[in-house]
Amino acid sequence: MAAVPGGLFAVYKPAGVAWGRVREAVETRLLRELNAVPGRAPRQHVRFLPAPGDDGAPGLVAARVPVLADHPLVLGIGHGNKLLTDLYNCHLTKVYTVGGLLGKATDDFSDTGNLVEKTTFDHITREKLERILAVIQGTNHKALLMHSNIDMKTQEAYELAVKGLIRPMGKSPPIITAIRCLQFALPEFQLEIHCLHETQQYLRKIVHEIGLELKSSAVCTQVRRIRDGVFTLDDALLRTQWNLQSIQNAIWDCQLKVKTELEKTLGHQDKIHLHKMDVDMAHAADS
Amino acid sequence: EAAAMWWALRAVRRPPPAFRRGLAKPARPRSVRQLREAEEAAPVFQYAGKAAKRKDRVFVWGFCYSGALGVPSFVKPDVGWKKPRRIQPTPYRLETEEKISSAACGYGFTLLSSNTADITKVWGMGLNKDSQLGFQRSIRDRTKGYEYVLEPSPVPLPLEKPQETRVLQVSCGRAHSLILTDSEGVFTMGNNSYGQCGRKVVEDETYSESHLIHQLKEFDSRVVQVVCGQDHSLFRTKKGAVYACGWGADGQTGLGHYNITSVPTKLRGDIAGVNIIQVSSYGDCCLAVSDEGDVFGWGNSEYLQLASVTETTQVNVPRHLPFKIGKIKEAACGGTGNIVLTEEGNVFVWGYGILGKGPNLIETAVPEMIPPSLFGWSDFNPDIRVAHVRCGLSQFAALTNRGELFVWGKNLRGCLGTGRMEDQYFPWRVTVPGEVVDVACGVDHMVSMVKSFT
Repeated sequence: MAAVPGGLFAVYKPAGVAWGRVREAVETRLLRELNAVPGRAPRQHVRFLPAPGDDGAPGLVAARVPVLADHPLVLGIGHGNKLLTDLYNCHLTKVYTVGGLLGKATDDFSDTGNLVEKTTFDHITREKLERILAVIQGTNHKALLMHSNIDMKTQEAYELAVKGLIRPMGKSPPIITAIRCLQFALPEFQLEIHCLHETQQYLRKIVHEIGLELKSSAVCTQVRRIRDGVFTLDDALLRTQWNLQSIQNAIWDCQLKVKTELEKTLGHQDKIHLHKMDVDMAHAADS
Repeated sequence: EAAAMWWALRAVRRPPPAFRRGLAKPARPRSVRQLREAEEAAPVFQYAGKAAKRKDRVFVWGFCYSGALGVPSFVKPDVGWKKPRRIQPTPYRLETEEKISSAACGYGFTLLSSNTADITKVWGMGLNKDSQLGFQRSIRDRTKGYEYVLEPSPVPLPLEKPQETRVLQVSCGRAHSLILTDSEGVFTMGNNSYGQCGRKVVEDETYSESHLIHQLKEFDSRVVQVVCGQDHSLFRTKKGAVYACGWGADGQTGLGHYNITSVPTKLRGDIAGVNIIQVSSYGDCCLAVSDEGDVFGWGNSEYLQLASVTETTQVNVPRHLPFKIGKIKEAACGGTGNIVLTEEGNVFVWGYGILGKGPNLIETAVPEMIPPSLFGWSDFNPDIRVAHVRCGLSQFAALTNRGELFVWGKNLRGCLGTGRMEDQYFPWRVTVPGEVVDVACGVDHMVSMVKSFT
């Protein structure tokens, strides 16, 4: 039996569960199944994307997470860990659906915090909200161009700006690349946010600031990641699928996507990891 | 005896205040029910009523020392700790008494006008050495006028019916200005050494501290748009004709000669009989757009503005520019570059200078399109279109249908409003706290009319 090919796959993390537990569960399951297989089971490392929002001391995480819903987590096996770092360095955008509730302001910007103020919101219409969102998108687009550290006076910068490929390739404050309103039913509304380098607290703060701009107040009720770079919700494995076979299939399916993305963005850097991926793909094709 | 006992009892009845914690309980976390009740009992604040209207605001930015921004504290600080500000690099809100419906930036001065029926309809600020803002009486000496006006001051117009006539539009050139009214024709003021004010040139006339404001009424129909070039004036009438007066050495008057004209005269050439719906000029080149979407140009062509039809550098008769870029909706002329907007919402530039397609494109005689993705168009936002285009002397501005303002060009003394001092080689957003409705570009400053969000 061939060894498990190294690679990346996405897992659906249910709401209210710490991501450490999910990792342990997948790890245990994988190890159990591999041990049951006759033959040498190579030592596996399972490493993780530092899921934004879950940064910080683990103790604090458990407290905040219950408000929010589900995240696909990207896990890596074997040399997939290095791929994980490369993918992280691509600085791809993540897409979230964020739910908000108008009329309340709390100290931690979510609806379970201590109440700070209640306001009226009957003057708010979808048109006003969309105007604010257009401005947020505009200023964030400006921030995107400024933090990407390219000299604006070069022809290269112009070409990249036309194609929309200017992105900060290093550390930068959270930037929203696109935002739009999916649903609007007073007092609730739902936004779709595409962002880079964000934290969960930043997303809640955005909802709060939208409330302030509309001359009212808002709290965030739900944050749900629906896309992480190239992995979408469709690629995420459900709890029932945390077994060796489905993980292998998932790695195989996502390999091509991950490879093209890495080549496109880090094409000028060393191709060692990509080469290894090629070898793996060849092996898997043979077996 | 009884009285003494009564007094003693009275003293006793008032016991000394003992610190008892009768009703106070030790602090402990409130239960969910208590929290919910406290939340429901909390007062609700109202910051905006249901029928709250959006407010109209004016934002200015650019070079301050001429006074053209209208904020006196930039030039003469009113408080000890403030320092004079030479440049305002980002939009700054200007308080105005009325809603401003039209603004124009000249060479170091600004005019703002409102559509009101009140007596004061036009305000001016900035350079007034040629009385381009009318006569601004000095407070210290009632016989003299101000050379620099630091805050928006009323322009005294000799109206026949000051409480009925409305000012529709204002326009400013290098040292003269035009004010268009709905029923009393066009008022001109400022320098007239080339006849740009539409009156006969008087030799050795002193233009500073002049009270003279000339009125022009003799056109084939009502004037609907006035445009100031550097030293010439253009008038567009309701019937679609264009009149011009002023300096003509570059052919900018379009009257078939290179002399001065001091009386507004109708243009012929390729626009004879054509219904013109918009004219534009700021330097020495002029563009006109017809109702069928054709564009005509005349004037200076040293920077390839008209090189698509002729090799000569001065064109003194309007010529049709046969561009195959679609039906044209709006055109704007700068000092060395031109910009047009088509019906589909595409923006084309040509001429010389920083045209907006990166540092490599310095000059072109044929219009080049600026990719819509630079204005925020993307698969995520496919409905974004450019709605208006404007030109300063060496800057361009574009307004989208979402109310965003994009600028590019030479950043002369911070006039682009981006917050940086560098030139901008492709369209860049200006962050304005509101939806930008209109913008007026000058040489080194800009004025925008903005509606607040809520």
